[in-house]
Amino acid sequence: MTVPTAPSLYQPTSLDDAVERLAVAGPDAAPIAGATWIMRSPSRGEPFHREYVSLARIEELRRIDDDGATLTIGAAVTHARLAQALAGHPALEALRQAAATSANPSVRRQATVGGNLCARDFAAADLAPALLSLSARVVLAGPAGITTTPLSGFLAGRDNLPPGTVLAHVSVPLAPVVSAHARLTLRRAGDYPVAIVSVAATLDDAGVVESATVAVGSVEPVARLWPELAAAMTGRPLDADEAVRTARELAGAFTPRTSVEADGWYRLQVLPTVVGRAVRALESHGRDRT
Amino acid sequence: MFVNGEPRRVHADPMTPLSGVLREELHLRGTKAACGEGFCGSCTVFVDDDAVASCLVPVGLAEGRSVRTVESLADPAGALSPLQQAMKDNDAVQCGMCFPGMLMSLTALLETNPSPERRDVHEALVGNICRCTGYERIVDAALTAARAAGAAVEEDAS
Repeated sequence: MTVPTAPSLYQPTSLDDAVERLAVAGPDAAPIAGATWIMRSPSRGEPFHREYVSLARIEELRRIDDDGATLTIGAAVTHARLAQALAGHPALEALRQAAATSANPSVRRQATVGGNLCARDFAAADLAPALLSLSARVVLAGPAGITTTPLSGFLAGRDNLPPGTVLAHVSVPLAPVVSAHARLTLRRAGDYPVAIVSVAATLDDAGVVESATVAVGSVEPVARLWPELAAAMTGRPLDADEAVRTARELAGAFTPRTSVEADGWYRLQVLPTVVGRAVRALESHGRDRT
Repeated sequence: MFVNGEPRRVHADPMTPLSGVLREELHLRGTKAACGEGFCGSCTVFVDDDAVASCLVPVGLAEGRSVRTVESLADPAGALSPLQQAMKDNDAVQCGMCFPGMLMSLTALLETNPSPERRDVHEALVGNICRCTGYERIVDAALTAARAAGAAVEEDAS
């Protein structure tokens, strides 16, 4: 009988070192940041990797930089720090809400932005739809250098990245939008949401939607955009009741997942209501802005 | 790592949960290990300035950092912290399983928000589950401790 070796932990202080170590180790190794998802691998019946390469001591991944046009968020920034930093960015309210309300306070102090986007079986991640609605891009560091890609493409293809790829930063354009995030949990405290909706929109002076982006999380296995609903909202005044009706008509576009928390049909059933809550919050943020 | 102010060297594998190392290797049994998934809050400790679920912290990531457990709240002579005293005075302790985690989450709240509203206390305890369902007396005690600390500050200032 072979006794499995306990996983090791490598703690580099530079991104280059992390990339190199992961590239050499190949599929035996994986990055780790806040560890909240990976530490629960045994309870999901998943074996640990042989080695983890920590991003926690890489200074550049712990920073949030604002150059006036883009907010660049390091992968190792925690939800709690992100929520705090976004208090001064009303346009990014969807992201602030997502970071401030996911999981519970102690997990938010530990779980990171990068982990939330890279945990491949975590369908109920809150930051994913929030960042999708804000047209975020991810900056990937790998053996071949740095690449930047839209978050939607990253989420769809994250299972097939070459070894040594590290999600280093998320960049969010600082556009003149209003945004909101709504999540439905079955109980108030700590539950995974059954459905998540994030919406961002630009409004003209009369409150008519010039452009909109809608993203949905937790309904399907991977968060995704809902372009049909966004198109239906464009060119009209914000109207939560109308958005609920349209969402009900268009919800057939989703193939919902069933899990221990909720059946697929239930997720689809509540989705329009969650859309309504997000748009209602958007209406109120829009009023605050004027 | 520095545990309750003392440098400690541990031998566990780096991906061992910190909660297990505190309990089994350092014999600090105040930290409870219940759900092991970050949902119940019974293992909450401070790592540097953050109150976190120690069942989800690989001990390797705590290397060189400061860890504070419930055993650090009372002073070395055994005098309870004002929060602990308020819990005792309000008769808020029931079976004791969730309690060390409750104390650490509330200590974190009072360090960042010395004058919390009832709602702030509820939000701070979202990740601390009490199966005795003794929440309201715990919340009362936390608010009593905050008010007492506020009164003491005002008295000092006058």
